[in-house]
Amino acid sequence: MEERTVAYLRGAFKRHYEATEVSPPPAPNEREWGYIPWTAQAQTTMVRHRSWLDVGNLGRFLTEERPQHVYFSAAQYRDPSANSMGRKDWQGTDLVFDLDADHLPGVDPEETTYREMLATCKDALLDLLSVLEDDFGFEDCTVVFSGGRGYHVHVRDDGVHELGRGDRREIVEYVLAEGLDLDALLARELVDGIGLENPTEKRTLSTTGGWGKRVHDRLLALVDEVRAMDDDEDKRERLQAYDGIGEGSAEKLVEVFDANYDQIAAGNVEVHGRFLTLARQVAAETFDAESAPIDEPVTTDINRLIRLPGSLHGGTGLTVERIPREDVAAFEPLVDAISPVFGDESDDALAIEVTEPVTIELADDTFTLEAGAETVPEYVGVFAMARGHAEIAKQ
Amino acid sequence: MESLHARYPFFESAREAVDDAAVDLGELVARGDAPAVDRAVERVTAALTEGDVGAPRRRTRTELLSYPVARVLVSLVDEPAVTRTYAQAEAATAVERIRADVTENADLSYGSGGEVSLSGLLSEFGLDDAVEPVAGEDAYRVTVTAYLRLSSNLDGDAWRLNRRELADGEVPVERDELLVLLRQAIEDRVADGLPLSVPDAIADALTDAVGRVEEVLADIDVAVDIDRVVPELFPPCVHALLERARDGEELPAHSWFSLCSFCAAIGMDADDVLELLDVAEGEDPVLAQRVRYGLERVAGERGVEYPLPSCETMDAYGDCVNKDDLCADVQHPLSYYETRVESAGD
Repeated sequence: MEERTVAYLRGAFKRHYEATEVSPPPAPNEREWGYIPWTAQAQTTMVRHRSWLDVGNLGRFLTEERPQHVYFSAAQYRDPSANSMGRKDWQGTDLVFDLDADHLPGVDPEETTYREMLATCKDALLDLLSVLEDDFGFEDCTVVFSGGRGYHVHVRDDGVHELGRGDRREIVEYVLAEGLDLDALLARELVDGIGLENPTEKRTLSTTGGWGKRVHDRLLALVDEVRAMDDDEDKRERLQAYDGIGEGSAEKLVEVFDANYDQIAAGNVEVHGRFLTLARQVAAETFDAESAPIDEPVTTDINRLIRLPGSLHGGTGLTVERIPREDVAAFEPLVDAISPVFGDESDDALAIEVTEPVTIELADDTFTLEAGAETVPEYVGVFAMARGHAEIAKQ
Repeated sequence: MESLHARYPFFESAREAVDDAAVDLGELVARGDAPAVDRAVERVTAALTEGDVGAPRRRTRTELLSYPVARVLVSLVDEPAVTRTYAQAEAATAVERIRADVTENADLSYGSGGEVSLSGLLSEFGLDDAVEPVAGEDAYRVTVTAYLRLSSNLDGDAWRLNRRELADGEVPVERDELLVLLRQAIEDRVADGLPLSVPDAIADALTDAVGRVEEVLADIDVAVDIDRVVPELFPPCVHALLERARDGEELPAHSWFSLCSFCAAIGMDADDVLELLDVAEGEDPVLAQRVRYGLERVAGERGVEYPLPSCETMDAYGDCVNKDDLCADVQHPLSYYETRVESAGD
């Protein structure tokens, strides 16, 4: 990146910070702060182990330093500016989750556009929030667009601060539904055998909580869906879509759905041999559909630094945007995370020198930039330069 | 001093009682033969050999004071394996007492001895807001963060959070499981702060006592030379324990420890023991957990194994039953097994 481009972006970031009030996380004085200054070299060094005292007034710090990237620790310490983790004296850590569009299963970054990747990532975010809110009962969740390729969730409910790495690892396993299959979720209950001397065992799925309930909900929804179909042919076809279920089994299952509906609704999976075959596959579907592919080390590393909400992401020029919970579903990162100070829509707002042809999706539009001189809306120019595809035009 | 404190010496109130009694620990240990020091040595040595802390003394004062002295002894021995084994033994003994003292009622009423209530225990460990009884069932809901803190050292898939019925921030647990979680809280409390830094004067006064602990530690046998598992040849006492466990009885800590150490001594692992008990892991997660915990405890660290009690000790616990002719000739259940295996030949 040319010096003149660095100078331009620093200026642009200063305008952003002058126009925006960035609010610090709770207990900012107990956190470690870090940032990466703007430099022309690709190699960057993070300035770490800063205390809130070093930062001073956050607004003034951001306006004066206008760093490329700004971070704070999810952890709180007695002495956050000590140079080693041991001396910092750990007090606790927010529970943090990171979803990165680069690492979503089934998403090939080569084949998928930025907008599509972010959309898939937001679906994963909604899955994550469902697990955190419904299963874990967390109420203090801050949802943040990272400004780059994904989303962060900061959880600060009572009791999470003290959790160690092992505890966090278990939370990760839960969110990922790691190592689970139907059998792991079945409870065994002894029931009196009818006409038998010995009681028999039946295996049931939970109807009250955990992944067991999630699998059960989905299984029951399938049963309800099939029962609601008018045409017997349709019913069979729907069930034959599953492995190991032929026409005969499908027919039998349709009968079992009606005859044993109450049992099924109560969680019993042993109503018929083929029902287990079906339930195993529905369980796998459930894990795929409702788990969230979070980045494990971000959650388990209790000393992690994380982007400051409200700051700008130096690799895109987009805002690290805090999203009110009720706005998450409608959030459009490539529209809503554009800093208002770069919002000039006019096509000739900014003259840049494209060094690498690129297609940029921003706002509701797509911009195809050819190598050479171009004039673009400022947010497109900032994005292209921050990503390293362009330099600011020579004066 | 209340007998409750002697029974649960790790309670905050017990610590305060020791403070209030203004007992000078230095003076106490200086009289090397003081009953409290004796009892402290026994607490630690019983932990190493039996997995519990031995039979309580009748005098409340002796019993109560022996606990802080035992913590000092463990600090002076300063072996992580000993510290852990000791904390586990205190916790195991405490849980047995809790089982005896707390009534079955789910309404958390006072125990039959009027000594301790489940709600009192929960509040002792700051868990009163974290654990809530489920109305009409012998079950509880534990907030997820407390559950994670108390279960993360527990082995066995059944404890893994992603298999639990987590809903709205709470994990349902059965009463037995709650006791296992409490055991963990007690173990943490006992181990908290260990090893203590001990003033020289006290360390000097306890030299003999430490020597007695170290003697026991040195005597602990390394694994016995039998690695064949032939259940038909087990001694009658082990047979009887196995039968009781198979029938679903929850054996008292010392009996359970005896069974586990026997199995460990002849080279069985947790899966083997579960097979012997005719249970699959998923079928009875609580039992599976007890097996793993029991075996872990007897195995210790650094490959040292704590062998099961002698015939005499088994008898003292009432576990020496169905004696046969061979029993009269041996002093140790393992010798019984060894002899039977040898005479059975190949």
